[in-house]
Amino acid sequence: MRFFQNANYDFLKYRKHWAVVSTLLSVLGLAVVVFHKGLNVGIDFAGGTQVVVQFLKPPTADDLRKSLAQAGLGDASIQGYGAENPDQFMIRTRLHGKGEEGQEQEIIGALDRIYNPGNHPAFDVNKGGAEGLAALLFEADPLQLKAADVTTAREAYTEVAQSVLGVRRQVGVVRDFQQLAGVKGMTPEVLQALQGRSYVGNFAVLSREVVGPTVGAELRQRGILAVVMSMLAMLVYIWIRFELRFGIGAVIALIHDVLVTLGLYALFGFEFNLTTIAAFLTLVGYSVNDSVVVFDRVREMLRKSKRMPFEKLLNDAVNMTLSRTILTASSVFLACLALLFLGGEVLRGFSFVMTVGVIVGTYSSVFVAASFALLWENMVQRRRDRGAPATPRAADGKPREAAKPREVKNGERKAAAGGRRR
Amino acid sequence: MNKSLLYRGLLILAVTVLVVVAFWPPEKKIKLGLDLRGGIHLVLRVKVDDALRAERDKVAERLSQESQSSGGPALPMQPLSASAFAVDVPAGARQKILDVARAEFGEWQPEATGNRVVFRLKEDERRRLSDLAVNQALKTIDNRINAFGVAEPLIQRQGMTGDRILVQLPGVDDPERIKGLLKTTAFLEFRIVEGGPASTSTEVLAAYNGTLPPNLELLEGSVKDEVSGKSIGTQFYVVQKVARVTGRDLKSARPGLGQFNDPIVEFTFTHEAGQRFGELTQANKGKGLAIVLDHRVVSAPRIETRITDQGIIRGQFTQEEVTDLSTVLNSGALPAGIETLEERTVGPSLGADSIKDGIRAGVVGAVLVVLMMVVVYHLSGINAIAALVLNVAIIFGGLAYAGATLTLPGIAGVVLTMGMAVDANVLIFERIREELRAGRTARTSIEEGFKRAFASVIDTHMTTLIAAAFLYQFGSGPVRGFAVTLVIGLLASLFTAVFVSHWLFDLELSLRKRVESISIG
Repeated sequence: MRFFQNANYDFLKYRKHWAVVSTLLSVLGLAVVVFHKGLNVGIDFAGGTQVVVQFLKPPTADDLRKSLAQAGLGDASIQGYGAENPDQFMIRTRLHGKGEEGQEQEIIGALDRIYNPGNHPAFDVNKGGAEGLAALLFEADPLQLKAADVTTAREAYTEVAQSVLGVRRQVGVVRDFQQLAGVKGMTPEVLQALQGRSYVGNFAVLSREVVGPTVGAELRQRGILAVVMSMLAMLVYIWIRFELRFGIGAVIALIHDVLVTLGLYALFGFEFNLTTIAAFLTLVGYSVNDSVVVFDRVREMLRKSKRMPFEKLLNDAVNMTLSRTILTASSVFLACLALLFLGGEVLRGFSFVMTVGVIVGTYSSVFVAASFALLWENMVQRRRDRGAPATPRAADGKPREAAKPREVKNGERKAAAGGRRR
Repeated sequence: MNKSLLYRGLLILAVTVLVVVAFWPPEKKIKLGLDLRGGIHLVLRVKVDDALRAERDKVAERLSQESQSSGGPALPMQPLSASAFAVDVPAGARQKILDVARAEFGEWQPEATGNRVVFRLKEDERRRLSDLAVNQALKTIDNRINAFGVAEPLIQRQGMTGDRILVQLPGVDDPERIKGLLKTTAFLEFRIVEGGPASTSTEVLAAYNGTLPPNLELLEGSVKDEVSGKSIGTQFYVVQKVARVTGRDLKSARPGLGQFNDPIVEFTFTHEAGQRFGELTQANKGKGLAIVLDHRVVSAPRIETRITDQGIIRGQFTQEEVTDLSTVLNSGALPAGIETLEERTVGPSLGADSIKDGIRAGVVGAVLVVLMMVVVYHLSGINAIAALVLNVAIIFGGLAYAGATLTLPGIAGVVLTMGMAVDANVLIFERIREELRAGRTARTSIEEGFKRAFASVIDTHMTTLIAAAFLYQFGSGPVRGFAVTLVIGLLASLFTAVFVSHWLFDLELSLRKRVESISIG
């Protein structure tokens, strides 16, 4: 199957319109973040406590919110943990100026009071640790082992405790005592002792994360720095390999991509966390590729025909690489789509950034990066035609020689040099 | 088949075998990150100021003693910061104090203004002490984790100079216990009880008219419920300030059972300390002996008889508590307090779900990409698929060789790499198609296609590699795992697209007698 075999679209004709559209999109993206929704900043950057719990009989998110608010955790934000896991919830609280320590004890304690009410033994099969369970069984000694040898008894009960908790490790939350009947080392006597001295709580804690304000602030700073620095690195790389104006064009396209994607990200309310930064950095690395491929083609064509007007050159390069651009975008898009829908809750935000970013990035490489290179070129050209002394230096910062007929010449020289280098 | 073709084929075969051997069987050779296998990730900070403060207090105390022993006044210390204090010295005694300080406490820089002398810890000494505290804390934590028995723990200092310690414990999902174990300073003291216990501090202070003499101190201890072992209140004790015997004098500690089958900690003193303990208990028969852990009274049994080298600590402990207490006593006291800056615990069930989701997305993603390549490039698409499969194999092999961990974002990285690795193939194939369209023969088109696409392939890989480098430098844990996967994937893609794919085309050409066309859609 072939796409765009003899593509010859005039992408650059309406470059000014595209420039307006792209600028609007970027501003809109930024505006969504700043004025409308704001980013749903996760604990990685804001600091705080995040707990994922799995319920036996799950309440609705609303019930959960109300109950937690009554328990004095009114600011807790609650989120279902994926459509596939209706029994799982993520509970997040901000820090309360209590130093570095988190609130996980308060959250779990509150859940305990709400969902495990009434009188019951102290040990919860869905929350306790193996040592505690072993000690409890050791004390009860349903197998009458202690009389013979204390050490053997301790080992035997530790083993049973491990296999009981092994069930929880596998299923997340233990349903009832019957579920534990078949595990290694379990006998009716042990089960009976277990039933007498423990209970099956209504929820289990699947994960808990606490990020203190110090680490949160550091991660925030490093995250922003990493994205900005990576863009600068792209600029420098393209500057060295091609020309400054291409580099600036590509970076403007990158800023556009990041802003538009960020706006959509905020609009959909995904949590902004470490993985999101990873996604944006990957997007930066990926998105610049399309521009680079076009620039590569421009450089190659410059070597062949030096007389062609820059606009046509650029437009031809975009057309020639169009099928590659579309195909690659499709394949990355397909992979991202699979991640978005099948990759699970933790990767949702990451996959969203990449999926949206691929589309935005493909658009921008043509309508932003290439257009910008051309706008820049024309601007320089006009100034020179007017003989304005306002541009004593060329785009790459080197002193201009007055006799040069066209700005492209400069590009040719560099491009040719680049060609010879390889 | 010509020689070059053969050698290149052998090289590709060797690489394939090498990477497959490296990661097979994957469930054993691929190290999973904490987010996939479950476990605890902790970033701890050693409060080095604690250690500095202790040193400051010790020096100030000794300075005062020196002054007194040479007939001068006692010098009450005014703390200025963790590493600075001031004393008021009468003009006559000043020179003497300064001389003593210079001779005995060279690390402290004295600075006299009027009657006041300010002592500051010198910068290099401050750094040395901080460093010492962190390293000592690291060792203590290491001991405690080892005693706890965790497979493959990671305990390391973050950076060479910082005050942070990173602890990663795969497969452990009881963070409260671990944190308790790690953060207990475990400073054990044996002190003689002079008053109390009483349920309020005023009650116990009444005997001293509200103010304690300088050699005594008021300490708290909890009252525990007989059955549940839970703390139900607080008691106050008046104890001697000086501890003749401390945790440093312990030879060993271990959990045991008391006479009522209740969990206790048994301990043994070193020989020398045993004698001191003997004197202490002899002299204070009938009084209470407060067992003080981190400035809280654990229990205060009555001294019935002279005790020398062995003893027990009883305090209505649970089995878990005595195990942990023996562990921390054996591992020694922490030189300074520890606080948690970051804590991430992932339960194994969540990790298993993540693996399942990741694999599912990976398989579906791969199928979609493969389908697309075959539809677009027909038989040549298979060429790209072979490269793709090898690419993924190299990623896993690379991870296994480097001992790097596969994290959930890392799995996303693999899926993403599959999408992106195709790019290099697409660049090349599109070039080949262009050459074919221009009327060149299949052989020339392939040669030219590879040659001309090379610059673009390098450039696109370089830009993504640069981003991955920033990612690596920025991230830790899961994100760093992603960066590593991405880097290996990019290098692999460079190899497979440029080298393997080319070889496959050449192989096809050499196998067919007359080549008029190739199947490239």
